[in-house]
Amino acid sequence: MGALTDIATIARWEVKRTLTQMSKDTLPLAIVLFVLLILVTGFAAQSGMHLQDGMYEAGVDDPAIAQLLASDNRFSVYQLDRATLEQNRQAFDIVVMEGKVYGSDTERAKSALKTVERDYAKYTNRVYNRQDDLYAAYPLWIDIQSVKSELDFLATQSGQYISARPGAVAPVPEGEVRAIPSPSPALGFSKEDLRRELAKSETANSQISRYTDMLSSDTATGRFRTPSQLSPPLPFDSIILIFVFIFPLYFTSQFFMMSIMNERIERKGEVLLSTPVKTTSIIIGKVLPYLIGMIAISAALTVYLKASLLIMLPLIPVIFFFLANALIIGMVSRSFKELSFISIFFSTVATSYLFFPSIFANVHVISLISPLTLIILTLQGTAYTFTDYLFSTSLFWLTSAVLFYVAVANFKEEQLFSEKRLLIRIREFIAESLSRTHPFVSLFLLNGFAIPFVFMVQLMCLVLFFNLPMPYSLLLLLIFAAEIEELVKAIGIYTLSEQDTAFLSWKNLFFACAATAIGFLVGEKLLLFITLTQITESIFGSILFLSLGVLWMPLALHFAGVFIVACALKFWGRAGLVPGLVAATAVHCLYNLYFILGWLT
Amino acid sequence: MNARHLTIIMHKEFRGLFNERTILLAVLLQLFVAMFSSFLMVGLTSMYDPSSLSKYSRFRYSIAYAGNDSALREYLDASPDFNVYDMDLSPAVAALKERRLAAVIYAPDTAPDAVDPVKITLYTLQNDLQSAIVNVKLKDIFLKYEKDLRGVRAVRLGERPVPLQLPPSRGGGDFYEFVYGLLIPLLVFMPAIIASALVIDLITEEYQHETLETLISTPVSFAEIIWGKVLACELLVPVQAGAWLLLLLINGIPIRNVPLILLMVTLSSGIPILIGALTALHYRERTAAQFIFSTALVVVILFVLALPANPLNLLTRLAVGTAGMEQWIVLAGVIAIGALLSVATQWYAEKTGRQHHTG
Repeated sequence: MGALTDIATIARWEVKRTLTQMSKDTLPLAIVLFVLLILVTGFAAQSGMHLQDGMYEAGVDDPAIAQLLASDNRFSVYQLDRATLEQNRQAFDIVVMEGKVYGSDTERAKSALKTVERDYAKYTNRVYNRQDDLYAAYPLWIDIQSVKSELDFLATQSGQYISARPGAVAPVPEGEVRAIPSPSPALGFSKEDLRRELAKSETANSQISRYTDMLSSDTATGRFRTPSQLSPPLPFDSIILIFVFIFPLYFTSQFFMMSIMNERIERKGEVLLSTPVKTTSIIIGKVLPYLIGMIAISAALTVYLKASLLIMLPLIPVIFFFLANALIIGMVSRSFKELSFISIFFSTVATSYLFFPSIFANVHVISLISPLTLIILTLQGTAYTFTDYLFSTSLFWLTSAVLFYVAVANFKEEQLFSEKRLLIRIREFIAESLSRTHPFVSLFLLNGFAIPFVFMVQLMCLVLFFNLPMPYSLLLLLIFAAEIEELVKAIGIYTLSEQDTAFLSWKNLFFACAATAIGFLVGEKLLLFITLTQITESIFGSILFLSLGVLWMPLALHFAGVFIVACALKFWGRAGLVPGLVAATAVHCLYNLYFILGWLT
Repeated sequence: MNARHLTIIMHKEFRGLFNERTILLAVLLQLFVAMFSSFLMVGLTSMYDPSSLSKYSRFRYSIAYAGNDSALREYLDASPDFNVYDMDLSPAVAALKERRLAAVIYAPDTAPDAVDPVKITLYTLQNDLQSAIVNVKLKDIFLKYEKDLRGVRAVRLGERPVPLQLPPSRGGGDFYEFVYGLLIPLLVFMPAIIASALVIDLITEEYQHETLETLISTPVSFAEIIWGKVLACELLVPVQAGAWLLLLLINGIPIRNVPLILLMVTLSSGIPILIGALTALHYRERTAAQFIFSTALVVVILFVLALPANPLNLLTRLAVGTAGMEQWIVLAGVIAIGALLSVATQWYAEKTGRQHHTG
């Protein structure tokens, strides 16, 4: 009960302080700025974005076509007579003479040609859509039926060719054939419905409107498309919408970082620490207002956008992740500059991790490593399973939990008010989370709990290398995955040896390595067991998480890797760390290569 | 204003930055974003134009054709991308599920000149990169077929679009708009935003760490302190932007007018940096200053982007080489606004400086 009151008190303080700080003279200006923001958004919606204006230059002899091109801001259009055009052909990216388009051979001209192509298609669509006889203008409709493959991820890595090589005879399915009724030739939609849908997809390219009414524009005609609409569905609108959700989270976590930093400036937080309140209560109390604020903002946005509240499910672990990182960043940075740079760095990395995979939401299972993909799916009305949810959010839950623990362990005077360098501080933070009396248990736990971070980084590499040509992507992934694992395993032993150089006796060294290796292995297995079955079945997965079979082999590998590093540390001290890591990575890579090659043949 | 005093302050700030190695983070950030944007580029292109990745183009995809005969069937047969099998619908879909096929097409019994539209049913695999590629390839064939059908039904059309004959597509030019029209202006302008956030940190730090009194007791005037910090941030902009451009050039992306771009960025970055300095001078506290500044920045950037011939657009046009005379007008405008803000900063700094000396 006491803890709860403490938390409530601290949360109240936090809110009060932020509010008094803000209301002094920030609030009036903030309100003015928000009004301005709304006005400017309106203005921008009216006038459009003018980032790419005048990128291309076009020479045209026909006023009708000149008008057509000029409606696209990207073109600077010059209407000239034929002779002049003929003479100055090289001065333009594209030249249109007597209804024929000529492009020069530069990259810019090629891009201009593509733009003309798209503009012209849009224009013809507009004309056709006005026709009375809609089925004369749009005689062909495609009904797309998605079929779920039974062999899902296994066969589809990076879209390479897996289906059987074309033979002379038609393939015969091995499994059971379920009877599929012949589709009816009727569309099942009235002409007016279709016309409205076409008109919508035509305006869908106007610059701002497509973001604002994306939720209401859930297609009335469903899967029916004309051939020109048959592109892979890039969930661009939902992605933009996601920024609407993520942006307030950045802002709020900035406030939280600053609040933590403020406690440390000139030791203002000392008073708080000298009270009998437990550190857990202090931290929970400080986090609580921001947590509630973030959830409230997201919920309000969801309601405002009339989206399903299910969006909140994948968003909450992301919120925790942001708060946990903000807490740590606020605790480690020494100055405002450092705070700014680290937070910018963190938000870029986090955005990339969250954002880029979700682009492929409709294309590939890999996109599920980002919880945002689940939000996109919810927005689109596609269902996802509980396993999907576990798969994409478990790493966020786990890493947040670990970071909060580290923060609680370090929330004390000597850590908060030290002015040491960033890396040293991080090392001290880790050291503080390790128990002096039970170093081996600590090492075991440290490595077990480091696994979610390792997976996160490795998955990021997977996304990063996913689109490189096949042998290179595998090779890079191989090296990076090994490197990351060895680095993480070395951290614990390095920290212990830095604290106490006498620690690395041969006996201790052996036990430390064993604890590290076992901790790593157990963490890996547990997490794999819960979540990552989807990825582990692919060839990429087999590099990252190679070790599903026999247990003693990977254990020996982990032990050998960390043993090499530990020996290097014992003989050469700190200078031995990098060479030790390189050697361990090499061994790790060779081991993986051996198994991959064996696996391939 | 004493030049030596300014240099001393700038030295102090740079030393601080290098001591903390924060500048390393900024460099890392650049590399990281560069890596991810290349990922994005390759990813998006392969989705829209799979043939751009040569490894996909040499395959013939097996597809099944069910239902009634049509001109579509001939187009599919003629295509170098597909191997077409005549199959019944049910076994074909079952084979698709087992990935023995890439797609199944069902054509109905609708005459080309019928009143009703022709409704083709296309079965593809869900959530699959390969089926995305097959869709793009099928789209071309469907478009041809649509054109034919439209020709048959042309008599029923009222208004016709203005004819325009496009040359056959030669490929290439996919990245162009993304790189020049989005990546370059944003990347080159990012240092300006970082620098203006930095100037707020530098100024509020003196207040919140209570180091200002020591500084003021030296012969350096308060206005000189502020200008030293502003100039330090300003100097970082061309260095960082230049590093970006160099990275892009190394990546084989030719950029025109590099000196002009750097000049443009350096001059226009003065505007956000001075706004940042003014906000910091006013609030003297980081949370409030950063909050107000970033909101103001969003407003300003949105407004500027909505203006035709804005500085960011100019960066694009300089980089592709289509900038005309108007660039000098824009430049003059930027300098004028910068000068106004400088006067405001000088006035505000002198006023604040007097307060500090008397109070």
